[in-house]
Amino acid sequence: MASVLCLSACGGSGDENTPVPEEKVYPAYTDITASGGDTTTYDASESGHGFSTPAPNLTAAELALHLDGDLGFETAFTTAPNDAHPELDGLGPVFNNADCNSCHQRDGRNSTPQVAAGETRVKLGSEAGIFLRISKAPDEPCLVGTAANNYCAPIAVPNFGGQLFHRGVLKARNDWEQNKFIGQADVYLSYETKVISYSDGTTVTLKKPLFDVENPYDAPGETKSSANVTSNLLQDDVLMGWRNGMPVFGLGLLEAIPEADIVANVDADDANNDGISGRANYVFDAVKAQAGDSNPVSLGRFGWKANTPSVRVQSLGALRGDIGITNPLFPDESIKGTALHDDYLTRTGFVDTGAGIDGEPEANAEFSDSVVFYAETLAVPARRRVADADVREGARLFEQLNCSGCHTPSFATKASGDIGGTEMIAGHKSQTIYPFSDMLLHDMGEELADGRPDFLADGSEWRTRPLWGIGLTQTVNPQAGFLHDGRAATLEEAILWHGGEAQQSTDDFMALNAVERAQVVDFLMSL
Amino acid sequence: MKHFTHSAVAIALISALAACGGSGSDSTPAPVPDGTFSFAATEMVTNLTDDVIVAGYSDLATRGATLLASTQTLVATPSQSNLEAVQQAWKAARQPWEQGESHIFGPVDSLGIDPHLDSWPLNTTDLTTVLSTTTGFDAKTIKGWNDDVQGFHTMEYLLFGDGVTTNTKMIADLSDNERDYLMGLAEVFRDYTKNLDDAWLISHDASTGKAYGELIKNPGSDGNTFYSSNVGVVQELINGMIGIVDEVGNGKIADPFGADAASADTSKVESQYSWNSLTDFSNNIIGVRNVYQGELAGSADKQGIVDFVAAADKELAARVGTEIDNAILTIQAIEGSSDMPFRQAISDVEGRKRIQTAVDALSKLQTSLESDVLPLLKTWKV
Repeated sequence: MASVLCLSACGGSGDENTPVPEEKVYPAYTDITASGGDTTTYDASESGHGFSTPAPNLTAAELALHLDGDLGFETAFTTAPNDAHPELDGLGPVFNNADCNSCHQRDGRNSTPQVAAGETRVKLGSEAGIFLRISKAPDEPCLVGTAANNYCAPIAVPNFGGQLFHRGVLKARNDWEQNKFIGQADVYLSYETKVISYSDGTTVTLKKPLFDVENPYDAPGETKSSANVTSNLLQDDVLMGWRNGMPVFGLGLLEAIPEADIVANVDADDANNDGISGRANYVFDAVKAQAGDSNPVSLGRFGWKANTPSVRVQSLGALRGDIGITNPLFPDESIKGTALHDDYLTRTGFVDTGAGIDGEPEANAEFSDSVVFYAETLAVPARRRVADADVREGARLFEQLNCSGCHTPSFATKASGDIGGTEMIAGHKSQTIYPFSDMLLHDMGEELADGRPDFLADGSEWRTRPLWGIGLTQTVNPQAGFLHDGRAATLEEAILWHGGEAQQSTDDFMALNAVERAQVVDFLMSL
Repeated sequence: MKHFTHSAVAIALISALAACGGSGSDSTPAPVPDGTFSFAATEMVTNLTDDVIVAGYSDLATRGATLLASTQTLVATPSQSNLEAVQQAWKAARQPWEQGESHIFGPVDSLGIDPHLDSWPLNTTDLTTVLSTTTGFDAKTIKGWNDDVQGFHTMEYLLFGDGVTTNTKMIADLSDNERDYLMGLAEVFRDYTKNLDDAWLISHDASTGKAYGELIKNPGSDGNTFYSSNVGVVQELINGMIGIVDEVGNGKIADPFGADAASADTSKVESQYSWNSLTDFSNNIIGVRNVYQGELAGSADKQGIVDFVAAADKELAARVGTEIDNAILTIQAIEGSSDMPFRQAISDVEGRKRIQTAVDALSKLQTSLESDVLPLLKTWKV
């Protein structure tokens, strides 16, 4: 290629008939490699360790805390009581997984469950990093969060809660001798497919995950189609939506973006008439509530619907929610007060399902703080192949398709201040970062909708996913998929699922020729 | 928010000027060594995939089948010799698994096989309850249970006893129900080890995906979203070596070792029931040597990471090889002259000195891999 350019540039004697190539304009981020500023890692950025490396600008003390958190992130908890390892007990009694790593494999996305040959569906077990969020349908949309309406939080399903736990410790259910290690219900995953055709005849088969929920603990053996359904879980007004584990790296940087810079991109009514709105979610903030704030609400930044305000709330919420490990921020089991929990306590006589025998939460402050710090300080992998001509063309097309209308390329982090009452990490200050997300909610259309509101997010809205590192997703985990439920096996499939506000971009993508479509994917793979 | 700075044409012109600017002037400076090196990695990656990784997993699958067969024999004819045969089959299966921890990426992780096979610690509370309340175990049911009541260490507990004073279990102490459970566990184990082997040889997701071995061997090929070049593969292999050296030195050994004899904790010793810990640890580092050398012990010489390192720095290549050998030898030496198990050595004055020697050797090796070998990726002219 270089030699061709050389001949073109130097060899001619002024042939006026030589066509002048059309000048193409490339966005500034085309050549950027340091996606995470000074936190960027290069030594692992092409391997399965690409998401698992500590930020290189940590101090020695910070690195030690990070490594403690790394250990905690991989710690598998067990049934209480565990006399040999009391520090590890407290799992569940119902849960989705026994450790953080299972839903964030190698700090990336979880594996997408496969339906075995000859089967029509797969039952979720320990391999599954996916689970169902559940809530009751509200009577009317919640528009402004107040104490009276619980800040627009999802309405818990009576006797179940806000998350469906498909796994349990041995005696979680009172019918445990027939249903060992089963949680609140059995959950099955299946797929339906549809074929998308480009104008050049190329086709792509998309698969959409469906769920069946059966055998709830409050009505063993019942299914949705049972006669006279009695289970609280199987009522018609119970909303359910899949959630996958997300990549964990770079979160401290996202947390350090000034709120004003995120809110500046809000365009709720599409005042600029570009077809893209962008709304902020405002959510209950457990850190503020614990500190006695009279209005414990913050901008939502994390979670598929921007339903959590900080890495601390997200991490410790997952520790309590996904694993059933209580901690200083969430000292009560998430299923406290449900019939399953009450019965479990009575039947087993365990005293440490909400607290250890010392009366402290199952995960102490030291453990909790280190896990939060770990999630805040994983390095962002450096971009790769930025000089590749196809990657560069892909960057140009990414702009042309207006993907950057939501996947905002760049932000600068705060120069000072605190995060949730804690002084921000020095290495996160004043960094120019390239997350490719505006951190806002967007209507993504009916096909992706789960119909389940979450604080101010409606049933069709999702937070823009950061794209940094996305090209390493399947290097880190060969069986990982994309989007909130892992339905997209490739980045091309993920693009094709984009509807709603992104429909025009998707249509424009489909209008590209095969080479150009591949260039867009090449660019994404370089991130 | 759009930022436009320069055009492709501008870049092309800059390149063209750089390429064409010289006129053959006599003042052209003599070439200066640029500190880079060349190495064609394709043969090495192929060797490591086929002759180390896949060969190891195939060996594991074979030994998994043997473990099941010996367990079936034990159930059919409970005897001390048949119990000892299963114990040996368990140890035999442990060898390729532990050696494979030097490259614990890909399907072993994505298919959840690592936690299925090697969850630690096991849940003796639930295990005891299951055994006291249930009969008639089958593999399909066990697969749906939690990982901490299946896999290597559950089988180990049933086969060898609690390991506190001995690793010798008598057949009279193995109940009918425990034997039945063992057979179910061994069948599950056989299935998962076969799945792992198939994932590298046939399909990485046990469905429609390509063989993971082919993906590793063909980075950057059409449709390969896993590795874009051999740089990523070599980086993966080196980081895999670093990972297990770190885990053995700073986890498997250091955690139970503690700061002093008073804080040593036998409950944290992996493979404590069988007293197989030191064999596990040394096999972990033998796995590192397999990747470094490019072949399993006793096999014909093939290209390995050592050849990549030697292309840049022959002295370094030899030094790292020596450090790997030394790490293995110092781990094996922990048992001393009295065949002392690791769980006893952590509380023994002389044993702790030998352990510290091994930890130091591992630390030295880890530093070399991190500080000297991994940075070679930056000067490698691919």
